[in-house]
Amino acid sequence: MDSLLTGLKTVVDGLGATVLLPVFIFIIGVILGAKPGRAFRAGLTIGIAFIGINLVIGLMWTSLSDVAQAIAANTGVTRDVVDVGWPSSAAIAFGSSVGLWIIPVGIAVNVALLLTGLTRTLNVDIWNFWHMAFFGSLVVAATGSLGMGIATAAVMAGLALFVADWSAKPVQKFYGLPGVSVPHLLSGAILPIAIVVNWVIDRIPGLRDIDLSTDTIQKRFGVFGEPIMMGLIIGIVLGLIGFWDGSNIPGTITRVLQTGMALAAVMLLLPRMVKILMEGLIPISEAARSFVQKRAGNREINIGLDSAILIGHPAAISSALILVPIAILLSIVLPGNRVILFADLAVIPFVVALAAPIVGGNVLRMVIIGAITLAAGFYIATAQAPLFTQAAVASGFTLPENASQITAIGDGFLWISLVVVALASWLGYFGVVIMAALVGAGLAALKGGRLGDHAAGEEQS
Amino acid sequence: MPRKKIVLVACGTAVATSTVVANSIEEEMAARGIPVETRQCKATEVPGLIEDVDLVVSTTPLPPNLPKPAIVTLAFLTGIGRDAEIEKIAGILKG
Repeated sequence: MDSLLTGLKTVVDGLGATVLLPVFIFIIGVILGAKPGRAFRAGLTIGIAFIGINLVIGLMWTSLSDVAQAIAANTGVTRDVVDVGWPSSAAIAFGSSVGLWIIPVGIAVNVALLLTGLTRTLNVDIWNFWHMAFFGSLVVAATGSLGMGIATAAVMAGLALFVADWSAKPVQKFYGLPGVSVPHLLSGAILPIAIVVNWVIDRIPGLRDIDLSTDTIQKRFGVFGEPIMMGLIIGIVLGLIGFWDGSNIPGTITRVLQTGMALAAVMLLLPRMVKILMEGLIPISEAARSFVQKRAGNREINIGLDSAILIGHPAAISSALILVPIAILLSIVLPGNRVILFADLAVIPFVVALAAPIVGGNVLRMVIIGAITLAAGFYIATAQAPLFTQAAVASGFTLPENASQITAIGDGFLWISLVVVALASWLGYFGVVIMAALVGAGLAALKGGRLGDHAAGEEQS
Repeated sequence: MPRKKIVLVACGTAVATSTVVANSIEEEMAARGIPVETRQCKATEVPGLIEDVDLVVSTTPLPPNLPKPAIVTLAFLTGIGRDAEIEKIAGILKG
Protein backbone atom coordinates (compact mmCIF):
# COMPACT_ATOMS: atom_id res chain seq x y z
CA MET A 1 0.00 0.00 0.00
CA ASP A 2 2.70 2.44 1.02
CA SER A 3 4.86 1.66 -2.03
CA LEU A 4 1.93 2.30 -4.34
CA LEU A 5 1.28 5.58 -2.60
CA THR A 6 4.96 6.49 -2.72
CA GLY A 7 5.01 5.78 -6.44
CA LEU A 8 2.02 8.02 -6.86
CA LYS A 9 3.72 10.67 -4.76
CA THR A 10 6.67 10.70 -7.19
CA VAL A 11 4.28 11.46 -10.04
CA VAL A 12 2.56 14.09 -7.92
CA ASP A 13 5.86 15.77 -7.09
CA GLY A 14 6.78 15.78 -10.77
CA LEU A 15 3.61 17.44 -11.99
CA GLY A 16 2.91 19.71 -9.05
CA ALA A 17 -0.36 21.02 -7.69
CA THR A 18 -1.05 23.20 -10.74
CA VAL A 19 -1.54 20.15 -12.99
CA LEU A 20 -2.55 17.37 -10.64
CA LEU A 21 -5.10 19.09 -8.48
CA PRO A 22 -7.23 20.14 -11.50
CA VAL A 23 -7.26 16.54 -12.71
CA PHE A 24 -8.23 15.23 -9.27
CA ILE A 25 -10.89 17.88 -8.76
CA PHE A 26 -12.41 17.01 -12.15
CA ILE A 27 -12.54 13.30 -11.29
CA ILE A 28 -13.93 13.90 -7.79
CA GLY A 29 -16.51 16.32 -9.18
CA VAL A 30 -17.75 13.80 -11.75
CA ILE A 31 -17.92 11.01 -9.15
CA LEU A 32 -19.95 13.24 -6.83
CA GLY A 33 -22.38 13.93 -9.66
CA ALA A 34 -21.35 17.36 -10.97
CA LYS A 35 -21.80 17.93 -14.72
CA PRO A 36 -18.51 17.11 -16.51
CA GLY A 37 -18.26 20.57 -18.09
CA ARG A 38 -18.74 22.27 -14.72
CA ALA A 39 -16.30 19.89 -13.03
CA PHE A 40 -13.69 20.53 -15.72
CA ARG A 41 -14.07 24.28 -15.34
CA ALA A 42 -13.75 23.87 -11.56
CA GLY A 43 -10.49 21.95 -11.92
CA LEU A 44 -9.08 24.46 -14.38
CA THR A 45 -9.98 27.37 -12.10
CA ILE A 46 -8.23 25.70 -9.17
CA GLY A 47 -5.06 25.20 -11.23
CA ILE A 48 -5.13 28.88 -12.19
CA ALA A 49 -5.58 29.84 -8.54
CA PHE A 50 -2.44 27.91 -7.65
CA ILE A 51 -0.40 29.76 -10.24
CA GLY A 52 -1.70 33.07 -8.87
CA ILE A 53 -1.11 32.13 -5.24
CA ASN A 54 2.42 31.03 -6.07
CA LEU A 55 3.16 34.45 -7.58
CA VAL A 56 1.85 36.35 -4.55
CA ILE A 57 3.53 34.06 -2.03
CA GLY A 58 6.79 34.61 -3.91
CA LEU A 59 6.37 38.38 -3.55
CA MET A 60 5.49 38.07 0.12
CA TRP A 61 8.31 35.70 1.01
CA THR A 62 10.85 37.91 -0.71
CA SER A 63 9.79 41.11 1.04
CA LEU A 64 9.14 39.48 4.41
CA SER A 65 12.40 37.53 4.40
CA ASP A 66 14.32 40.69 3.57
CA VAL A 67 12.63 42.53 6.42
CA ALA A 68 13.08 39.69 8.92
CA GLN A 69 16.77 39.41 8.12
CA ALA A 70 17.24 43.16 8.23
CA ILE A 71 15.54 43.27 11.64
CA ALA A 72 17.85 40.53 12.92
CA ALA A 73 20.93 42.34 11.56
CA ASN A 74 19.81 45.79 12.75
CA THR A 75 18.55 44.94 16.26
CA GLY A 76 20.12 41.60 17.09
CA VAL A 77 16.62 40.27 17.83
CA THR A 78 16.03 37.01 16.01
CA ARG A 79 12.54 36.89 14.52
CA ASP A 80 13.31 34.79 11.46
CA VAL A 81 10.10 32.78 11.17
CA VAL A 82 7.66 34.85 9.10
CA ASP A 83 3.90 34.60 9.29
CA VAL A 84 2.61 34.06 5.75
CA GLY A 85 -1.06 33.88 6.68
CA TRP A 86 -3.80 31.26 6.53
CA PRO A 87 -4.46 31.76 2.81
CA SER A 88 -0.93 30.44 2.23
CA SER A 89 -1.62 27.53 4.60
CA ALA A 90 -4.79 26.67 2.71
CA ALA A 91 -2.93 26.68 -0.58
CA ILE A 92 -0.11 24.56 0.87
CA ALA A 93 -2.66 22.10 2.26
CA PHE A 94 -4.72 21.71 -0.92
CA GLY A 95 -1.53 21.58 -2.99
CA SER A 96 0.02 18.86 -0.82
CA SER A 97 -0.04 15.15 -1.59
CA VAL A 98 -2.63 14.77 1.21
CA GLY A 99 -4.68 17.64 -0.26
CA LEU A 100 -5.35 15.57 -3.37
CA TRP A 101 -7.18 12.98 -1.28
CA ILE A 102 -8.81 15.14 1.35
CA ILE A 103 -12.18 15.75 -0.31
CA PRO A 104 -13.11 12.05 -0.81
CA VAL A 105 -11.52 11.12 2.56
CA GLY A 106 -13.33 13.89 4.44
CA ILE A 107 -16.67 13.02 2.86
CA ALA A 108 -16.19 9.29 3.53
CA VAL A 109 -15.43 9.95 7.22
CA ASN A 110 -18.48 12.22 7.54
CA VAL A 111 -20.84 9.72 5.86
CA ALA A 112 -19.49 6.84 7.94
CA LEU A 113 -19.88 8.75 11.22
CA LEU A 114 -23.37 9.96 10.25
CA LEU A 115 -24.51 6.45 9.34
CA THR A 116 -23.17 5.00 12.59
CA GLY A 117 -24.84 7.83 14.49
CA LEU A 118 -21.55 8.98 16.03
CA THR A 119 -21.98 12.52 14.74
CA ARG A 120 -24.94 14.79 14.18
CA THR A 121 -23.10 17.17 11.87
CA LEU A 122 -23.26 17.15 8.10
CA ASN A 123 -20.11 19.06 7.17
CA VAL A 124 -20.87 20.91 3.92
CA ASP A 125 -17.92 23.23 4.40
CA ILE A 126 -15.64 21.47 1.89
CA TRP A 127 -13.43 24.55 1.73
CA ASN A 128 -12.25 24.08 5.31
CA PHE A 129 -11.17 20.51 4.63
CA TRP A 130 -7.84 22.25 4.06
CA HIS A 131 -7.21 22.23 7.83
CA MET A 132 -7.39 18.44 7.85
CA ALA A 133 -5.11 18.21 4.82
CA PHE A 134 -2.75 20.69 6.45
CA PHE A 135 -2.19 18.55 9.56
CA GLY A 136 -1.84 15.53 7.28
CA SER A 137 0.79 17.30 5.20
CA LEU A 138 2.76 18.19 8.36
CA VAL A 139 2.75 14.50 9.27
CA VAL A 140 4.01 13.68 5.76
CA ALA A 141 6.77 16.27 6.18
CA ALA A 142 7.72 14.75 9.56
CA THR A 143 7.51 11.06 8.68
CA GLY A 144 7.78 10.86 4.89
CA SER A 145 4.77 8.53 4.84
CA LEU A 146 1.86 9.61 2.65
CA GLY A 147 -0.31 6.82 4.05
CA MET A 148 0.17 8.13 7.56
CA GLY A 149 -0.57 11.67 6.39
CA ILE A 150 -3.87 10.62 4.82
CA ALA A 151 -4.79 8.57 7.90
CA THR A 152 -4.06 11.61 10.09
CA ALA A 153 -6.21 13.81 7.84
CA ALA A 154 -9.05 11.27 8.17
CA VAL A 155 -8.78 11.44 11.97
CA MET A 156 -8.79 15.25 11.71
CA ALA A 157 -12.04 15.05 9.73
CA GLY A 158 -13.46 13.18 12.73
CA LEU A 159 -12.00 15.74 15.12
CA ALA A 160 -13.68 18.57 13.19
CA LEU A 161 -17.03 16.79 13.63
CA PHE A 162 -16.29 16.36 17.34
CA VAL A 163 -15.61 20.10 17.63
CA ALA A 164 -18.90 20.78 15.82
CA ASP A 165 -21.02 18.43 17.93
CA TRP A 166 -19.39 19.46 21.18
CA SER A 167 -19.93 23.19 20.63
CA ALA A 168 -23.23 22.94 18.72
CA LYS A 169 -25.65 23.81 21.55
CA PRO A 170 -23.73 26.81 22.95
CA VAL A 171 -22.97 28.10 19.42
CA GLN A 172 -26.61 27.83 18.35
CA LYS A 173 -27.77 29.60 21.48
CA PHE A 174 -25.14 32.35 21.69
CA TYR A 175 -24.92 33.17 17.97
CA GLY A 176 -28.61 32.50 17.28
CA LEU A 177 -28.01 29.90 14.57
CA PRO A 178 -30.48 27.01 14.90
CA GLY A 179 -29.53 23.83 13.01
CA VAL A 180 -25.94 24.96 12.46
CA SER A 181 -22.65 23.70 13.89
CA VAL A 182 -19.06 24.66 13.19
CA PRO A 183 -16.65 21.85 12.24
CA HIS A 184 -13.68 24.20 12.09
CA LEU A 185 -10.33 23.12 13.54
CA LEU A 186 -8.72 26.56 13.66
CA SER A 187 -11.63 27.87 15.72
CA GLY A 188 -12.13 24.65 17.66
CA ALA A 189 -8.60 24.51 19.04
CA ILE A 190 -9.44 27.15 21.65
CA LEU A 191 -12.29 25.13 23.24
CA PRO A 192 -10.32 23.17 25.86
CA ILE A 193 -8.20 26.22 26.70
CA ALA A 194 -11.31 28.39 27.02
CA ILE A 195 -13.06 25.92 29.32
CA VAL A 196 -10.06 25.61 31.65
CA VAL A 197 -9.22 29.32 31.74
CA ASN A 198 -12.88 30.27 32.21
CA TRP A 199 -13.07 27.84 35.15
CA VAL A 200 -9.99 29.48 36.70
CA ILE A 201 -11.31 33.03 36.16
CA ASP A 202 -14.57 32.04 37.88
CA ARG A 203 -12.49 31.40 41.00
CA ILE A 204 -10.57 34.69 41.03
CA PRO A 205 -12.44 37.32 43.09
CA GLY A 206 -12.58 40.72 41.38
CA LEU A 207 -11.60 39.48 37.93
CA ARG A 208 -14.63 37.21 37.73
CA ASP A 209 -17.01 40.14 38.18
CA ILE A 210 -15.70 42.29 35.31
CA ASP A 211 -17.83 42.23 32.17
CA LEU A 212 -16.42 44.32 29.31
CA SER A 213 -18.97 45.64 26.83
CA THR A 214 -18.44 45.44 23.10
CA ASP A 215 -19.92 48.73 21.90
CA THR A 216 -17.12 51.24 22.27
CA ILE A 217 -14.20 49.02 21.32
CA GLN A 218 -15.17 48.49 17.72
CA LYS A 219 -15.24 52.17 16.76
CA ARG A 220 -11.88 53.04 18.26
CA PHE A 221 -9.94 50.38 16.41
CA GLY A 222 -11.87 50.63 13.15
CA VAL A 223 -8.83 51.13 10.96
CA PHE A 224 -7.48 47.66 11.75
CA GLY A 225 -10.50 46.21 9.97
CA GLU A 226 -9.04 47.29 6.65
CA PRO A 227 -6.44 44.77 5.49
CA ILE A 228 -4.62 47.07 3.08
CA MET A 229 -4.22 49.79 5.73
CA MET A 230 -2.99 47.17 8.15
CA GLY A 231 -0.50 45.83 5.57
CA LEU A 232 0.81 49.32 4.84
CA ILE A 233 1.18 50.28 8.49
CA ILE A 234 2.79 47.00 9.55
CA GLY A 235 5.07 47.12 6.52
CA ILE A 236 6.24 50.62 7.34
CA VAL A 237 6.78 49.83 11.02
CA LEU A 238 8.69 46.61 10.28
CA GLY A 239 10.62 48.43 7.57
CA LEU A 240 11.64 51.17 10.00
CA ILE A 241 12.87 48.63 12.54
CA GLY A 242 14.75 46.63 9.94
CA PHE A 243 16.14 49.22 7.55
CA TRP A 244 16.76 52.16 9.87
CA ASP A 245 20.12 53.64 9.04
CA GLY A 246 20.82 57.09 10.49
CA SER A 247 23.66 57.73 8.05
CA ASN A 248 21.50 57.06 4.99
CA ILE A 249 18.06 58.61 5.48
CA PRO A 250 17.04 58.70 1.78
CA GLY A 251 17.97 55.02 1.44
CA THR A 252 16.02 54.20 4.59
CA ILE A 253 12.91 56.02 3.35
CA THR A 254 13.02 54.21 0.01
CA ARG A 255 13.28 50.75 1.59
CA VAL A 256 10.65 51.51 4.24
CA LEU A 257 8.06 52.79 1.75
CA GLN A 258 8.77 49.91 -0.63
CA THR A 259 8.23 47.42 2.19
CA GLY A 260 4.98 49.10 3.23
CA MET A 261 3.70 49.08 -0.34
CA ALA A 262 4.70 45.44 -0.95
CA LEU A 263 2.96 44.26 2.22
CA ALA A 264 -0.17 46.30 1.46
CA ALA A 265 -0.21 44.66 -1.97
CA VAL A 266 0.07 41.18 -0.44
CA MET A 267 -2.83 41.88 1.92
CA LEU A 268 -5.11 42.61 -1.04
CA LEU A 269 -3.70 40.17 -3.60
CA LEU A 270 -3.35 37.01 -1.51
CA PRO A 271 -7.04 36.81 -0.52
CA ARG A 272 -8.01 37.58 -4.14
CA MET A 273 -5.97 34.64 -5.40
CA VAL A 274 -7.33 32.33 -2.72
CA LYS A 275 -10.82 33.48 -3.69
CA ILE A 276 -10.19 31.99 -7.14
CA LEU A 277 -9.38 28.70 -5.43
CA MET A 278 -12.67 28.97 -3.55
CA GLU A 279 -14.56 29.71 -6.78
CA GLY A 280 -13.13 26.57 -8.31
CA LEU A 281 -14.25 24.54 -5.31
CA ILE A 282 -17.87 25.73 -5.38
CA PRO A 283 -19.20 23.21 -7.96
CA ILE A 284 -17.44 20.40 -6.08
CA SER A 285 -18.74 21.67 -2.77
CA GLU A 286 -22.32 21.82 -4.10
CA ALA A 287 -22.06 18.34 -5.58
CA ALA A 288 -20.62 17.06 -2.29
CA ARG A 289 -23.45 18.64 -0.31
CA SER A 290 -26.21 16.95 -2.28
CA PHE A 291 -24.18 13.69 -2.39
CA VAL A 292 -23.96 13.56 1.41
CA GLN A 293 -27.43 14.98 2.07
CA LYS A 294 -28.91 12.18 -0.05
CA ARG A 295 -27.08 9.56 1.99
CA ALA A 296 -27.54 11.08 5.43
CA GLY A 297 -31.21 10.12 5.62
CA ASN A 298 -33.86 12.09 7.45
CA ARG A 299 -32.54 12.08 11.00
CA GLU A 300 -32.09 15.39 12.75
CA ILE A 301 -28.72 16.79 11.80
CA ASN A 302 -26.86 20.05 12.07
CA ILE A 303 -25.37 21.60 8.97
CA GLY A 304 -21.65 22.18 9.52
CA LEU A 305 -20.56 25.60 8.25
CA ASP A 306 -17.44 27.75 8.15
CA SER A 307 -16.79 29.75 11.34
CA ALA A 308 -16.65 32.78 9.00
CA ILE A 309 -20.39 33.04 9.75
CA LEU A 310 -19.57 33.86 13.41
CA ILE A 311 -16.97 36.53 12.74
CA GLY A 312 -19.35 39.47 12.31
CA HIS A 313 -20.53 39.12 15.90
CA PRO A 314 -19.41 42.09 18.05
CA ALA A 315 -17.85 39.80 20.68
CA ALA A 316 -15.56 38.18 18.11
CA ILE A 317 -14.64 41.45 16.40
CA SER A 318 -14.05 43.43 19.60
CA SER A 319 -11.88 40.86 21.33
CA ALA A 320 -9.89 40.32 18.13
CA LEU A 321 -9.27 44.05 17.78
CA ILE A 322 -7.85 44.19 21.31
CA LEU A 323 -5.82 41.04 20.68
CA VAL A 324 -4.05 42.43 17.59
CA PRO A 325 -1.77 44.81 19.53
CA ILE A 326 -1.41 42.20 22.30
CA ALA A 327 -0.28 39.64 19.74
CA ILE A 328 2.30 42.04 18.30
CA LEU A 329 3.55 42.81 21.80
CA LEU A 330 3.77 39.11 22.66
CA SER A 331 5.79 38.45 19.51
CA ILE A 332 8.36 40.98 20.71
CA VAL A 333 8.57 40.19 24.43
CA LEU A 334 8.23 36.39 24.57
CA PRO A 335 11.70 34.96 25.17
CA GLY A 336 12.65 32.26 22.69
CA ASN A 337 9.96 33.23 20.20
CA ARG A 338 11.21 33.50 16.62
CA VAL A 339 7.90 34.30 14.90
CA ILE A 340 7.31 37.73 13.38
CA LEU A 341 3.58 38.35 12.87
CA PHE A 342 2.23 39.78 9.70
CA ALA A 343 -0.35 38.28 7.40
CA ASP A 344 -2.47 36.49 9.97
CA LEU A 345 -3.32 39.32 12.34
CA ALA A 346 -6.62 39.30 10.43
CA VAL A 347 -7.36 35.69 11.44
CA ILE A 348 -7.55 36.38 15.19
CA PRO A 349 -11.39 36.60 15.20
CA PHE A 350 -11.42 32.97 14.03
CA VAL A 351 -9.12 31.99 16.88
CA VAL A 352 -11.44 33.40 19.55
CA ALA A 353 -14.91 32.96 17.98
CA LEU A 354 -15.73 29.67 19.71
CA ALA A 355 -14.66 30.99 23.11
CA ALA A 356 -17.53 33.50 23.03
CA PRO A 357 -20.37 31.07 23.89
CA ILE A 358 -18.32 29.59 26.74
CA VAL A 359 -17.74 32.95 28.43
CA GLY A 360 -21.15 34.37 27.51
CA GLY A 361 -19.60 36.95 25.18
CA ASN A 362 -17.51 38.57 27.95
CA VAL A 363 -14.82 40.37 25.93
CA LEU A 364 -12.32 40.60 28.80
CA ARG A 365 -12.41 36.82 29.26
CA MET A 366 -12.12 36.27 25.52
CA VAL A 367 -9.05 38.52 25.43
CA ILE A 368 -7.41 36.65 28.34
CA ILE A 369 -8.16 33.28 26.77
CA GLY A 370 -7.06 34.51 23.36
CA ALA A 371 -3.80 35.93 24.71
CA ILE A 372 -2.95 32.64 26.44
CA THR A 373 -3.77 30.70 23.27
CA LEU A 374 -1.62 33.00 21.15
CA ALA A 375 1.28 33.00 23.63
CA ALA A 376 1.37 29.20 23.52
CA GLY A 377 0.96 29.45 19.76
CA PHE A 378 4.19 31.39 19.31
CA TYR A 379 6.18 28.53 20.83
CA ILE A 380 4.29 25.88 18.89
CA ALA A 381 4.87 27.81 15.67
CA THR A 382 8.57 28.37 16.43
CA ALA A 383 9.04 24.65 17.05
CA GLN A 384 7.05 23.58 13.99
CA ALA A 385 8.41 26.16 11.52
CA PRO A 386 10.86 23.75 9.80
CA LEU A 387 8.00 21.31 9.12
CA PHE A 388 5.69 24.09 7.94
CA THR A 389 8.37 25.33 5.54
CA GLN A 390 9.12 21.80 4.34
CA ALA A 391 5.41 21.19 3.70
CA ALA A 392 5.22 24.40 1.65
CA VAL A 393 8.17 23.39 -0.50
CA ALA A 394 6.72 19.89 -0.94
CA SER A 395 3.51 21.49 -2.24
CA GLY A 396 5.49 23.17 -5.00
CA PHE A 397 5.70 26.72 -3.67
CA THR A 398 9.00 28.28 -4.60
CA LEU A 399 11.04 29.50 -1.70
CA PRO A 400 13.21 32.48 -2.57
CA GLU A 401 16.94 32.10 -1.93
CA ASN A 402 18.07 32.48 1.71
CA ALA A 403 14.44 32.77 2.68
CA SER A 404 13.38 32.60 6.27
CA GLN A 405 11.27 29.79 7.63
CA ILE A 406 7.53 30.31 7.56
CA THR A 407 4.47 29.78 9.71
CA ALA A 408 0.97 31.24 10.17
CA ILE A 409 -1.47 31.63 13.04
CA GLY A 410 -3.81 29.41 11.00
CA ASP A 411 -2.85 26.59 11.53
CA GLY A 412 0.79 26.82 12.63
CA PHE A 413 -0.17 28.15 16.08
CA LEU A 414 -2.47 25.26 16.94
CA TRP A 415 -1.62 22.69 19.61
CA ILE A 416 -3.32 20.11 17.38
CA SER A 417 -0.32 20.17 15.03
CA LEU A 418 2.07 19.53 17.92
CA VAL A 419 0.03 16.54 19.13
CA VAL A 420 -0.50 14.85 15.76
CA VAL A 421 3.09 15.31 14.62
CA ALA A 422 4.45 14.02 17.95
CA LEU A 423 2.18 10.96 17.94
CA ALA A 424 2.87 10.13 14.30
CA SER A 425 6.63 10.62 14.41
CA TRP A 426 7.20 8.80 17.73
CA LEU A 427 4.75 5.96 17.36
CA GLY A 428 4.06 5.74 13.62
CA TYR A 429 0.74 4.18 12.66
CA PHE A 430 0.18 3.23 16.30
CA GLY A 431 0.20 6.96 17.05
CA VAL A 432 -2.45 7.54 14.39
CA VAL A 433 -4.51 4.74 15.94
CA ILE A 434 -4.25 6.49 19.33
CA MET A 435 -5.49 9.74 17.73
CA ALA A 436 -8.38 7.89 16.12
CA ALA A 437 -9.23 6.17 19.42
CA LEU A 438 -9.26 9.51 21.27
CA VAL A 439 -11.49 11.17 18.69
CA GLY A 440 -13.74 8.10 18.56
CA ALA A 441 -14.03 8.05 22.35
CA GLY A 442 -14.86 11.75 22.34
CA LEU A 443 -17.60 11.28 19.76
CA ALA A 444 -18.99 8.26 21.59
CA ALA A 445 -18.99 10.18 24.88
CA LEU A 446 -20.92 13.05 23.26
CA LYS A 447 -23.41 10.57 21.85
CA GLY A 448 -23.84 8.97 25.27
CA GLY A 449 -24.33 12.42 26.76
CA ARG A 450 -21.43 12.03 29.20
CA LEU A 451 -19.99 15.39 28.23
CA GLY A 452 -23.51 16.74 28.34
CA ASP A 453 -23.07 17.78 24.67
CA HIS A 454 -22.25 21.30 25.63
CA ALA A 455 -18.99 23.07 26.34
CA ALA A 456 -19.66 24.37 29.89
CA GLY A 457 -21.05 27.88 29.43
CA GLU A 458 -24.75 27.12 29.86
CA GLU A 459 -24.91 28.80 33.25
CA GLN A 460 -23.35 32.04 32.02
CA SER A 461 -25.63 32.67 29.09
CA MET B 1 -30.69 49.08 -20.50
CA PRO B 2 -31.12 49.49 -16.74
CA ARG B 3 -28.17 50.47 -14.54
CA LYS B 4 -26.16 47.57 -13.19
CA LYS B 5 -27.08 46.95 -9.55
CA ILE B 6 -24.22 46.44 -7.12
CA VAL B 7 -24.49 43.86 -4.35
CA LEU B 8 -21.93 43.91 -1.54
CA VAL B 9 -21.43 40.38 -0.20
CA ALA B 10 -19.87 40.12 3.25
CA CYS B 11 -18.55 37.33 5.47
CA GLY B 12 -15.75 36.82 7.96
CA THR B 13 -12.91 36.57 5.44
CA ALA B 14 -14.15 38.07 2.14
CA VAL B 15 -12.79 34.82 0.69
CA ALA B 16 -14.75 31.72 1.55
CA THR B 17 -18.48 31.85 2.25
CA SER B 18 -18.97 35.23 0.55
CA THR B 19 -17.66 33.71 -2.69
CA VAL B 20 -20.36 31.04 -2.55
CA VAL B 21 -23.04 33.70 -2.01
CA ALA B 22 -21.67 36.07 -4.67
CA ASN B 23 -21.55 33.32 -7.30
CA SER B 24 -25.10 32.23 -6.51
CA ILE B 25 -26.44 35.78 -6.72
CA GLU B 26 -24.65 36.42 -10.03
CA GLU B 27 -26.00 33.20 -11.58
CA GLU B 28 -29.57 33.60 -10.35
CA MET B 29 -29.87 37.29 -11.21
CA ALA B 30 -28.42 36.67 -14.68
CA ALA B 31 -31.10 34.00 -15.15
CA ARG B 32 -33.74 36.61 -14.24
CA GLY B 33 -32.29 39.24 -16.54
CA ILE B 34 -31.27 41.54 -13.68
CA PRO B 35 -27.84 42.99 -14.43
CA VAL B 36 -25.81 42.75 -11.24
CA GLU B 37 -22.24 43.19 -10.05
CA THR B 38 -21.04 41.70 -6.77
CA ARG B 39 -18.24 42.91 -4.54
CA GLN B 40 -16.88 40.97 -1.58
CA CYS B 41 -15.63 42.25 1.74
CA LYS B 42 -15.39 41.45 5.43
CA ALA B 43 -18.35 42.36 7.63
CA THR B 44 -16.22 45.01 9.38
CA GLU B 45 -15.51 46.72 6.03
CA VAL B 46 -19.19 47.13 5.09
CA PRO B 47 -19.65 50.66 6.50
CA GLY B 48 -16.65 51.87 4.46
CA LEU B 49 -17.84 50.33 1.19
CA ILE B 50 -21.61 50.71 1.41
CA GLU B 51 -21.88 54.11 -0.30
CA ASP B 52 -22.23 52.99 -3.91
CA VAL B 53 -23.98 49.64 -3.41
CA ASP B 54 -27.68 48.80 -3.73
CA LEU B 55 -27.87 45.86 -1.35
CA VAL B 56 -25.74 44.11 1.27
CA VAL B 57 -25.94 40.33 1.68
CA SER B 58 -23.96 38.77 4.55
CA THR B 59 -23.41 35.35 6.09
CA THR B 60 -22.45 36.88 9.44
CA PRO B 61 -23.91 39.65 11.65
CA LEU B 62 -23.50 43.16 10.22
CA PRO B 63 -22.79 46.45 12.01
CA PRO B 64 -26.07 48.19 13.01
CA ASN B 65 -27.78 51.17 11.32
CA LEU B 66 -26.66 50.60 7.74
CA PRO B 67 -28.08 53.15 5.28
CA LYS B 68 -28.91 50.51 2.62
CA PRO B 69 -31.05 47.35 2.58
CA ALA B 70 -29.19 44.42 4.12
CA ILE B 71 -29.90 40.68 4.34
CA VAL B 72 -28.12 38.29 6.70
CA THR B 73 -28.65 34.70 5.54
CA LEU B 74 -27.12 31.23 5.64
CA ALA B 75 -29.47 29.90 2.96
CA PHE B 76 -26.81 29.90 0.24
CA LEU B 77 -24.52 27.76 2.41
CA THR B 78 -27.06 25.25 3.72
CA GLY B 79 -29.33 25.18 0.66
CA ILE B 80 -32.35 25.50 2.98
CA GLY B 81 -34.66 28.40 2.06
CA ARG B 82 -32.38 29.39 -0.82
CA ASP B 83 -35.16 30.08 -3.34
CA ALA B 84 -37.01 32.40 -0.97
CA GLU B 85 -33.86 34.46 -0.35
CA ILE B 86 -33.21 34.71 -4.10
CA GLU B 87 -36.75 36.02 -4.70
CA LYS B 88 -36.26 38.53 -1.89
CA ILE B 89 -32.98 39.74 -3.41
CA ALA B 90 -34.50 39.90 -6.90
CA GLY B 91 -37.41 41.92 -5.48
CA ILE B 92 -35.10 44.49 -3.88
CA LEU B 93 -32.91 44.83 -6.98
CA LYS B 94 -35.87 45.22 -9.36
CA GLY B 95 -37.43 47.98 -7.26
